[in-house]
Amino acid sequence: MIEQMIVNGLLAGFIYIIMALGFTLIFGIMRIVNFAHGEFYMAGAVVVLFLFGALGWNFFLAVVMAGFLAAALGIVIERVLFRPLVGNELPGMIMSLAVGITLQSIALILFGPSEQSIERPFSGTWQLVNAVVPWDRTVVAIAALVILAAFYLFLKYSRLGLAMQAVAQDRETASLMGVESGLIYASAFGIACALARLAGGLMAPIYTIGPYMGELPMLKAFVVVILGGLGSVPGAVLGGLLIGLSESVLSTLFSSTTALIASFTIVLLIVVMRPTGLMGRGAP
Amino acid sequence: MSALLEVQGLTRRFGGLTAVSDVSFAVSEGEIFGVIGPNGAGKTTLFNVIAGHYKPSAGTATFSGRGISGLRSDVIARLGIARTFQAVHLFAAETVAENLRRARVLSTSHGPFAYLRSFGTGRREPDLRDVATFVGLGPLLDQTAGGLAYGLQKMLGIGMALMVTPKLLLMDEPAAGLNPSEKRAASALIRRLRDERGISILLVEHDMPLVMGVCDRILVVNQGKPIAIGSPDAVKADPAVIDAYLGDDYEFA
Amino acid sequence: MKRLILLAAIVILAVLPWLANNRYVFHIATMIAIMAPLALSMNLMLRIGQLSMAHSAFMGIGAYASALLTMRLGLPPLASLLCGGVLAALTALVLGPVFLRIKGVYFVLLTYAFGQIVNLVFQEWTSLFGGNSGLYGIPKFSLAGYRLTAVSQYYVLALLFTAIAYWMVRAIERSDIGAILQSLNEDEMLSRSIGADALSWRIAVFTFSAAIAGISGGIYAFYIGFLSPQAFGFQLSVDLVVMNVIGGTSAALGPLLGAIVVVPLPELLREAKQYQLLIYGLCLMVFLIFIKQGLVSLIDRPRRKPA
Repeated sequence: MIEQMIVNGLLAGFIYIIMALGFTLIFGIMRIVNFAHGEFYMAGAVVVLFLFGALGWNFFLAVVMAGFLAAALGIVIERVLFRPLVGNELPGMIMSLAVGITLQSIALILFGPSEQSIERPFSGTWQLVNAVVPWDRTVVAIAALVILAAFYLFLKYSRLGLAMQAVAQDRETASLMGVESGLIYASAFGIACALARLAGGLMAPIYTIGPYMGELPMLKAFVVVILGGLGSVPGAVLGGLLIGLSESVLSTLFSSTTALIASFTIVLLIVVMRPTGLMGRGAP
Repeated sequence: MSALLEVQGLTRRFGGLTAVSDVSFAVSEGEIFGVIGPNGAGKTTLFNVIAGHYKPSAGTATFSGRGISGLRSDVIARLGIARTFQAVHLFAAETVAENLRRARVLSTSHGPFAYLRSFGTGRREPDLRDVATFVGLGPLLDQTAGGLAYGLQKMLGIGMALMVTPKLLLMDEPAAGLNPSEKRAASALIRRLRDERGISILLVEHDMPLVMGVCDRILVVNQGKPIAIGSPDAVKADPAVIDAYLGDDYEFA
Repeated sequence: MKRLILLAAIVILAVLPWLANNRYVFHIATMIAIMAPLALSMNLMLRIGQLSMAHSAFMGIGAYASALLTMRLGLPPLASLLCGGVLAALTALVLGPVFLRIKGVYFVLLTYAFGQIVNLVFQEWTSLFGGNSGLYGIPKFSLAGYRLTAVSQYYVLALLFTAIAYWMVRAIERSDIGAILQSLNEDEMLSRSIGADALSWRIAVFTFSAAIAGISGGIYAFYIGFLSPQAFGFQLSVDLVVMNVIGGTSAALGPLLGAIVVVPLPELLREAKQYQLLIYGLCLMVFLIFIKQGLVSLIDRPRRKPA
């Protein structure tokens, strides 16, 4: 049972990490708590539903396409809606609520409140020590690892990634050194949207797809990011794994609601005692 | 002369950096005391520790015999230590009179309970016009604060601090950004604060002529450490001070 | 003058349900009158520069407390209602010293997590709160032997509380407290250097606004007669923010206008919830970018207060 709990926890943790990365990226760079993040996730699943489920595209192609579309949409949303509010925490947050509401309503108008599911591209299970691992989950976990690695390499080695880190650390200095913050904002938002949609796209075959499907992953991303430290990428990874594992244990032993209450209580305690999270730096 | 403010071994570290290191001095009642030092010497940090914006890492500060280190800035203000800021801080959209009135309201009604207790007594002291006239804003009561010239905005800052009726006024670079004639007015005002209102003054300043001109005693800090203390003439002649300023563009007047 | 016309318009609007004399119109009007004080309580928080996601929880605490105190302990409804408000206020008073040290985004996250926990407790503690299937059988509100049964009577009750809440917020706005809160919000460092105890003021505002939210919750409980945790979720806090953004936060009139405009939307668009959300979202965007000061700024240009 312990092995199973660990495997389940890790599998869930990988998706949380991908969700949390985008969330933390937007906060780190734009100082916006993006309440629309769950809706980007939902949108990703919807695109996969359409391309893979209805048009019969290759599953991975559909996921990647969802990512690209998201990046494009994210850049537009950032430019039109968020740019005028940069530096204004509260309006920025309310704007993200507005974006979330709008995306959700569009999904409702297109699909109705009913939940849909698509045929699983992978099925069956395999055995790891004493744990049963479903194949579809395995694929998601591998894809998540690939995305995580790509994101890490991007931040570490690409010019844009380095510039993003500079802006996240110190906006004024970065702009003095000639980093063009507009470009950074747009690309950060685009990448964050893409990450959320990749996560949504990957998870599409596993859960049912509906306008409200983004709410729970959003909550999880939120918990993960607070735990790890808002704006911190290593924090998101650590937080994702911790939350994935603790949830797996708590929901096996008690119930999934207990797990949720526990994670929110952790969030409360963390914000009060160490607002910067486990891996965050500096005072808020 | 008894010590109004006494600072003992005050130290403030930020991570590995020691911004203020073991600084001790005392400001007597009725004294104008200056703190000078090259850029980054830790003057403003010292100032912020005394005013309660940072907690000291070590050492104590005593005001009228009462320990104040580690107290919150609003509590320190209530004890009778007001401060002015290096940059202009005011309610830009309000008139000069409203700024002064707000300062009075804020200082009388510290928190909700004190406010309820003071309700109805309606303290009208100190008088707005009186303070405005004192800092040279008498005719400008109805002007919007944000529209005043920079020098006048700094005067308004001093006026707002006076609404606290302080015994000690901490002034963070009062002459920064002022033109020569405004600087002369600022020097005169600092002296009048002491002579006419009996307020002791702790001054952090870059402008050497001003400091040398108005201060009774001066503390020189360099890299967070005190290197000299004494009268302006004694400090000017101190080899350690001259050493610290070598290579800087400062000129002693 | 404009303000007078506006007030007259609001009074006419308030008596409109009697002219229409239609149950449905009364229901919408009652919902507006229940939500308006909540929007006002959120307005107070925005005035101290804090966006609270805990206000839905405060309303929930007030609602469940009023209902349960009457149902289980047999307290008179008015006493339960006030206890509900006090309980919400006490919760805020206990949380305040910890929560309000934290500003901006972190405060939002903190109150959000708190709101979620309270909601999950409502859902999970089935024996007390009835869980997701809801709490049934809340008695009708009664005062001195007079039972409120008709919608119009609840409308009067809610309207009365709206008037009280509005009057109190206006009084705060005009008094020195208004100036103090504004000063703290504009320049906290300056205000504190003059001697203002920022934290205590924030706690006072948080507590007071929680009390308003709690009492509104109680009125809601007696009116609807049935409570479900969903009514006090994240969405409610969002709605309160929406009312403030659309109405405008700079004056007490703003959230009032916001409630009048926003509350009927779901009722009018009952058949098409998706369009309601779309209108919400788009309105918010337009207001955030183009009409930053809200509806109230279109009617009432901010004037400088004479010294």
